[in-house]
Amino acid sequence: MAPKLAFDAIVVGGGPAGTAAAITMAKGGLDVILIERGRFAGAKNLFGGVLYTHALAEVLPDYWERKPPFERPVTEQGYWLLSPDSAVRILHKSEQYKSEPAEAYTALRARFDAWFAAQAVQEGVLLIAKTTVTDVLRDRKGRAVGVATDRPEGDVYAPILVIAEGVNNLLTQKLGLARGDLPPRYVALSVKEVVGLPAPEIEARFGLAGAHEGVAIDVFGDATLGLPGTAFVYTDAKAVSIGVGLLLEELVYHKLRPYELLARFKSHPVVRPYLAGGTSLEYGAHLIPEQGYDRMPEVAADGVLVAGDAACMVDALHREGSNLAMTAGRMAGETALEAHREHDFSARFLRAYRRRLEESFVLKDLRQYRRMTDLLDSTPDFIGTYVNFINEAAGRYFTAHGIPKREMEGEILGLLRERRSFFGVARDMMTLLRGMRG
Amino acid sequence: MKARKHHPLSPELQASLPRVDVDNLITSVRYDVDEDFAHLSIKDHRVCQGCPAKPCLDFCPVGVYRLDRQDRVMVGYQACVECGSCRVGCPLFNIGWALPRGGYGVAYKFG
Repeated sequence: MAPKLAFDAIVVGGGPAGTAAAITMAKGGLDVILIERGRFAGAKNLFGGVLYTHALAEVLPDYWERKPPFERPVTEQGYWLLSPDSAVRILHKSEQYKSEPAEAYTALRARFDAWFAAQAVQEGVLLIAKTTVTDVLRDRKGRAVGVATDRPEGDVYAPILVIAEGVNNLLTQKLGLARGDLPPRYVALSVKEVVGLPAPEIEARFGLAGAHEGVAIDVFGDATLGLPGTAFVYTDAKAVSIGVGLLLEELVYHKLRPYELLARFKSHPVVRPYLAGGTSLEYGAHLIPEQGYDRMPEVAADGVLVAGDAACMVDALHREGSNLAMTAGRMAGETALEAHREHDFSARFLRAYRRRLEESFVLKDLRQYRRMTDLLDSTPDFIGTYVNFINEAAGRYFTAHGIPKREMEGEILGLLRERRSFFGVARDMMTLLRGMRG
Repeated sequence: MKARKHHPLSPELQASLPRVDVDNLITSVRYDVDEDFAHLSIKDHRVCQGCPAKPCLDFCPVGVYRLDRQDRVMVGYQACVECGSCRVGCPLFNIGWALPRGGYGVAYKFG
């Protein structure tokens, strides 16, 4: 029999959470193996996507010198509220976004994650790609002691295991840490296309001064047929990332084809000119776990820590996920280092990880917005109703009809009354406020 | 958990959705197909026959699920991007879903 393959720590999954954990542990002197099922780290990963550098800086303070493959800094961001034939745009552009390094960059995950994992290798992590973890190995008391992989003689052992397997958290479920599989009403299916365009063309269309400027727009309303979900338009260096995501339950109920929603969004009169003449470089799809604070899995068990999408660490309202994942991964790594110092890998000890998360923005934000999904849940026409109203109201407001303004204001109120009673509006606003305040 | 109040979409909205050839769309996606292991399967075809809605035919973002001439649900696992929607979204939990073997399946160039 071959000797047992043993490490100080095993990380499952080479995304932002897993790689952040691996780097943190390797920097702390542990012997770490990072197991990735893709051909390379990032091969399976896709996001909108905007990446926030604060979380990266805490994992790799010198990340900027390591030349991360960012697309464009986000120097303008905001919302498009889309009706079927118009848009109200609320965008914020500021010189303050232009610090270098910037606080947010657009990125493409196949490139970024591969770079991030390469930094882990530089820190001494053993990265094993093309290897799927099939099970968690446990001792007689049920404590995790390693993983089984689909490689021949592929069992690997370590006293601590960081599971960062992503949204399809089959291992987390197998360990009994998640309450069943993802519920379709709390998970969004997002589809995305990367549309190639020459950089000068992107800059001209989006009003950017050069490669040092970029836009991140989240879109509400007609892009999802007014159903609970969002769409996005982000500028990359030589492409536009465009996508649309809906709660899976809406797609199931309405029998919608996500690629048709995307095609419809792309051909919207407000959107189409930005993409004209572009070439489709890649299409893809990904689930986003939005079950929130009250339905997230347990994040610690004997010998196990769970981080990132696997633990549903997504703030859907602010399109944040990878920064939560990186922060959680770092905290998992720090907790693992302490566990090694104390030689204690019990769930009791590892719950320090949960406390760290509770004290950080990761669980503070998830806790604050714990009711947000339920708001959309109880009022699925919320987005469509108000976005269409705002567009019609803007149409009246900005046009001279030759009627007194007082009458115009009355008409606008009438537009709202057609859609919602006075009490209906009051109730919606209360729910929204409560959802925001937590 | 309260039941969500769904309102059917208006016929105009339904009609505003363009037809898209999903096979054409996924030519941009790189796959390393595992010819020896289908990571997706229908657990029991009789269950699908009793499913009037068959939403998987529509919500799968790459059109993995199609009907054959006998109206049986076929699984084109080769096109799968491993999003997990079918496992979660099948109303009868009738889809066997495993990860592809290491190195196989979708390999995004951009992501």
